[in-house]
Amino acid sequence: MTIWSTTHRAMAMAWRSLIRQPTRASLGVLGVAAVGALLLDMLLLSQGLIVSMRDLLARTGYDVRVTATEDLPRNGPRLHDVQTTLATIAGLPAVRSALALRFVDGAVDLAAGMTVDVSLEGVTGQAPHPWTVLRGRDIHDSGEIVVNDSIATASGIAPGAELLLRADCGAGAESLPPSRLRVVGVAEFPFELANENTIGTTLDTATAACGSDGPEQANVILVTSADDPDAAVKAIRAARPDLGAATNEQVLGRVEQTGFTYFRQISSVLTTITLSFALLLIAVLLTVSVNQRLGEIAALRALGFSRSRVVADVLCESALIVGSGGLLSLPIGAVLAAFLDRILKRMPGIPSELHFFVFQPSALELHLALLAATALVAALYPMHIVARLPIASTLRDQIAE
Amino acid sequence: MKLPSALVACALTLPLTTTIADAQSSTRPPVAISRHLAEARHLSIGSTIRLSTDHAGTQARDFTIVGIYEPTPNPARLGTPDLEVRFHLPDLLDFTRAPATLPGAEPISGINVALTDPADARAFARDVNARLPAIDARPASEATSNAGPFLVLRRFHLAIAAVTIGAATVFLLALTIMLVDERRETVGVLRLIGLPVRRILVQVLLEGVMVAAAGAVFGLVLSFASERLINGFFQWRYDTALVFVRITPDVAMTCVAIAVPLGAAATVIASWALLRRNALRLARR
Repeated sequence: MTIWSTTHRAMAMAWRSLIRQPTRASLGVLGVAAVGALLLDMLLLSQGLIVSMRDLLARTGYDVRVTATEDLPRNGPRLHDVQTTLATIAGLPAVRSALALRFVDGAVDLAAGMTVDVSLEGVTGQAPHPWTVLRGRDIHDSGEIVVNDSIATASGIAPGAELLLRADCGAGAESLPPSRLRVVGVAEFPFELANENTIGTTLDTATAACGSDGPEQANVILVTSADDPDAAVKAIRAARPDLGAATNEQVLGRVEQTGFTYFRQISSVLTTITLSFALLLIAVLLTVSVNQRLGEIAALRALGFSRSRVVADVLCESALIVGSGGLLSLPIGAVLAAFLDRILKRMPGIPSELHFFVFQPSALELHLALLAATALVAALYPMHIVARLPIASTLRDQIAE
Repeated sequence: MKLPSALVACALTLPLTTTIADAQSSTRPPVAISRHLAEARHLSIGSTIRLSTDHAGTQARDFTIVGIYEPTPNPARLGTPDLEVRFHLPDLLDFTRAPATLPGAEPISGINVALTDPADARAFARDVNARLPAIDARPASEATSNAGPFLVLRRFHLAIAAVTIGAATVFLLALTIMLVDERRETVGVLRLIGLPVRRILVQVLLEGVMVAAAGAVFGLVLSFASERLINGFFQWRYDTALVFVRITPDVAMTCVAIAVPLGAAATVIASWALLRRNALRLARR
């Protein structure tokens, strides 16, 4: 008899054992489905932010970021003498194009005396702008801006309209004179926060909004390498050792070490707890089930079923419960992940395009492997009971009962 | 270590060089540094540090370390060492003042005010806002913009807890059905000797409550034990004094309030299906 036919027969036997107790089997499968869904979500969470962030960084088209220090853009000091720095970097053979970017906070006056807080991105350089124009056209001259959908909807403006911006450049308590800016398009900004009002413009417009606070400054220079980002970083560091240059992977590494560690740790803890929980409960379910059928199993052994065959029956029963529950856990996990993602995305400072739960084939493979291991380990003790079952005394006890 | 209350907290990214303290240390402005900075740069009280407001190290000045403090745990900076220096405000303003700025004209981030009667906070803030339109005064209780992440994390953990409770309930129901099934003969005999269904059900309910209560107590003991373990691990991992898990009386009560009725209900539901069957069938098996 081949292994395949033995497994097939054991599966058929296990299936019959399960459908004989449909309520019990269904509850077992449902329990595994719920635990499996949680397990899948924790696996998605463990790398989700990094995968999502990598995707977001790659989508912008820049593969090197240059800042004044090793801090992340917006957290550290600004770059000074931007035009010279930009020209130096853009002139390197390893660099295809470069774009300087400055972030400025401010407020825009809307109709009916209302104002909304905005985030202004001022750019200069030859590289494509870090936004995608949805309606109207891109900026060409000073004083022109593109706004995101959030501002366009809130203010009811369209390309051609004008906005009054009051910049807050962190220079002190003194208020700056408002700047009148002309909207030329509506754009999508990849790193904008949920409900954030973002404006894109030229660097000189942003500098002018800040009252021309000294020579032009920038928070970051975005670079597209000619070929190899690592070579571009090396060249930039050689040309300007006073600046911090990092590839997208290096930026991700920094982010991974700081802000996102909490979710990786919490997912590890919850994965361990979830697996232990599933293991314990499936083992108890199978053990109680086997204990209730000791007489039946002894009778099967007396009829000629081999020890390995009855052990295989128990293993197959475990595999069927965990397998069915595991399959059911995939759609439940997907729905739950979407729900949990919506909760976590309400966290302040999270770009709207960033996701905490991102599907990856490797997470699914690990999920299936962990469930398979759980099915095997949970079945070990009941398999041991069945393997050591004394046939004659068990049958005698059953008759005596 | 107790620090002078006049020291002002300021987190700066400053280039830092260390020199050994000498006789001039008493003339240098005093600063306090965070434990993380002290450990990272092997600094101690009495050391002299040279600070500059830019990376080129221009206009660097020497300061004497007079204290090392444990930084206030900040979840937003988890995993990032708090490399901080605290100055007396006049020293900081003097140090960071731009050449074109007149002394006394420097901006500051905020002023913390301790009121004689804290209950007056809202009225005081309203008064300040009315008299000084360029200033935004808020009671400390309302200045909780950083609470956002915690509220979101709380919701996230509640959602995870709800799923876990759902899974546990399903398993519990499966287990109780199996356990009740094991006792069908006993139940059949009790029915045959005349005990009404309601009486048996009450007995089952009481048994369920006792088992669930014992389980809840065991769960709490396990939680208290793991609380120290989890906090110890994460505090070591992130080198922080943050408390990650805290089992408050409220949390413990909520757990018991969910676990005991859930356990008892699962037992009764599982038994109810059995009790509806014919007594003879139950006893005969």
